Amino acid sequence: MYKLTKAIFAVSLLGLSFGAIAQPLPGIGRTALPKEIAAWDIDVRGDFKGIPKGKGSVALGNQVWDEKCASCHGTFGESLEVFGPIVGGTTKEDMKVGHVKALSDGSEPKRSTLMKVPTLSTIWDYINRAMPWNAPKTLTTDEVYGVVAYILNMGDILPADFVLSNENIAEVQKTMPNRNGMISMLDPKNTKEFDMWKARGKGDIKNPACMKDCVKKVEITSVLPDYACDAHGNLAEQNRTFGAVRGADKLISCNPHPSIEELNRTFNQSQAKR
Amino acid sequence: MSNELNKPGRIIRAPENFIDASLSQAITKEGLNEERRNFLRKSFVAATAAIAGTAALSQSAMAATSEGDPLILNHTEYDQTLGLPVATNPYGVPSKYETNLIRRESPGLTNVGGASVAFSPLQGLFGIITPSGLHFERHHQGWQDMDPAKHRLMVMGMVKNPKVYTMDDIMRLPSVSRIHFLECGANTATEWGNVAVPTVQYTHGMVSCSEFTGVLLSTLLDDCGFDKKNGKFVLAEGADGSGMTRTISMENALDDVIVAYGQNGEMLRPENGYPLRLVVPGVQGVSSVKWLRRIEVGDKPYDCKDEVSHYVDLMPNGMTRQYTSIQEAKSVITSPSGGQVLQGKGFYNITGIAWTGRGKITRVDVSADGGKTWRTARLETPVLSKAITRFNIDWVWDGSPAILQSRAMDDTGYVQPKINQLRGVRGTKSIYHNNAIQSWRVADFGEVSNVQVN
Repeated sequence: MYKLTKAIFAVSLLGLSFGAIAQPLPGIGRTALPKEIAAWDIDVRGDFKGIPKGKGSVALGNQVWDEKCASCHGTFGESLEVFGPIVGGTTKEDMKVGHVKALSDGSEPKRSTLMKVPTLSTIWDYINRAMPWNAPKTLTTDEVYGVVAYILNMGDILPADFVLSNENIAEVQKTMPNRNGMISMLDPKNTKEFDMWKARGKGDIKNPACMKDCVKKVEITSVLPDYACDAHGNLAEQNRTFGAVRGADKLISCNPHPSIEELNRTFNQSQAKR
Repeated sequence: MSNELNKPGRIIRAPENFIDASLSQAITKEGLNEERRNFLRKSFVAATAAIAGTAALSQSAMAATSEGDPLILNHTEYDQTLGLPVATNPYGVPSKYETNLIRRESPGLTNVGGASVAFSPLQGLFGIITPSGLHFERHHQGWQDMDPAKHRLMVMGMVKNPKVYTMDDIMRLPSVSRIHFLECGANTATEWGNVAVPTVQYTHGMVSCSEFTGVLLSTLLDDCGFDKKNGKFVLAEGADGSGMTRTISMENALDDVIVAYGQNGEMLRPENGYPLRLVVPGVQGVSSVKWLRRIEVGDKPYDCKDEVSHYVDLMPNGMTRQYTSIQEAKSVITSPSGGQVLQGKGFYNITGIAWTGRGKITRVDVSADGGKTWRTARLETPVLSKAITRFNIDWVWDGSPAILQSRAMDDTGYVQPKINQLRGVRGTKSIYHNNAIQSWRVADFGEVSNVQVN
């Protein structure tokens, strides 16, 4: 009986995913009309599938930028005030090899958009769908081309007289500074050792589940920095006022901090006594 | 006996015994270290304040001197008066004594509230379900309260019949209700380089767990006749200003992805995507697109903003791992945890949560000595796939310094790593997917603080 139930259950599960309701459901939904699809199908893929016809000059982009973008992103796309920087940290050499050196040598700790993004399509797509931040989807297609061109001009990737269009954007892609900088989990050659795309894949870190004598000597390596001691306010007010514990109204172990050496000495002394 | 009677009065200690017994013992044996000195200084201030606060003092003194606890001996304001009528709060709200446990922002993390995070107060939550009003929030361009009557979902791309569905349509379809966690890919991001924030709310509060109700995405894909041969990916897109987009594998889409409208028995909360969102179990939260309005079937990934610029993992050699979707096994002790203070020596229930994007949690081990020795904790039922699992373990605190840790294992055999093991492979700049073992240091006077150990 149990086996039978289990078998029926398995079959019905299978059916749900692959066939039982593979037919269109009667009376549910309706066919999407071509104009509706066109209105919402705005995504642009890495191979530029989906990019609309149009063109925009660096000069047009400069105009839109100053009016609608600079207040958040800075005159030169360098600002950190509201969001991360868009421009900065890329070199002519990066454009040649397609991998941004500053990502490994740490010379630009605040990674800019141009340092990170391998696909120009993404910048086009994102500005088109989500910018300006407080008035998204209000730029014309040509303005989007212009703003993308201006960003690339600020990053010394395009000259000041450039006009970016659907016809030449794939060529410009070939100069993107970090175009070869990705290890994609969608590429099977990258997932032989580990896989973070497939649910049942392997991880990249192996930790044996040791139960006894796992560490010779425990050492604290990091504690809350002094400047962060009070940054999150009164922790007593972020915990219940009853129950197993209370919140600390002021972190004693952080005001000021005992040295890590002293913490380790105290901890290991008390461990040794056990 | 008097010790027992002192317990209710322990809310604020009487000034004459403002030093905890375990601390005075430690001072006698080992002298004053810097930390104990700080504690004494602070305790003296607190003791002085207690003298000023006569109400608190009298409560404590009464318990110590009378024949018993006045809260037991006398009638209370509750047992001799009439309570409130039904439906006083037509939509119930938590007790007025529970106002401390709320979603909070981490100061300095972001500059604008519309592109920010509010963390879930894990330090005070029980079980596996996050109350809907305490589910963490992450928005990229603010949140909207969308009119469900005006909401549409379009399924198009590589399908035989592209379709438009209203909420009326979607809620007629065969529904499933499943419990899954959602975790932001950047949960615990602040701790990659060093300890940065004090409490579990800020270290781990971008994970929540709900029962989601909706229709399986596979049902809609079948209804539109998706291209089973060439349709390898699905694009999900939101109806908000950010028009959030993410690529989802067809394997996931056909397995357990839910187009959800329900959360914990009611409709989704606006901050969590009302009236319709995607739930992609086990995958970083950004894929569970809120305010879902479009599903496109395609043959290639979409290289969306949050797949090339954010939610990617920078490695020490300057290469960036892309499409690292899965949230690997992780756990954290939620009580006692950072910023909390133990109320004296003795018995404690160490409790925490564990979860894995790869399946089920099979075991959680707990250490009280910084990872030298481990004991296996009890997993509370239910233990569900891609859901939070609650663990508990008994602990008698002897008053000496301790370092509490938890370590989760899942049914792929994967073991949650130590922070140094993670750093050894991934460095400190990858922002996302920090699933390291969390260490909480317990000082001899009971305060718990966030530390990292070797």
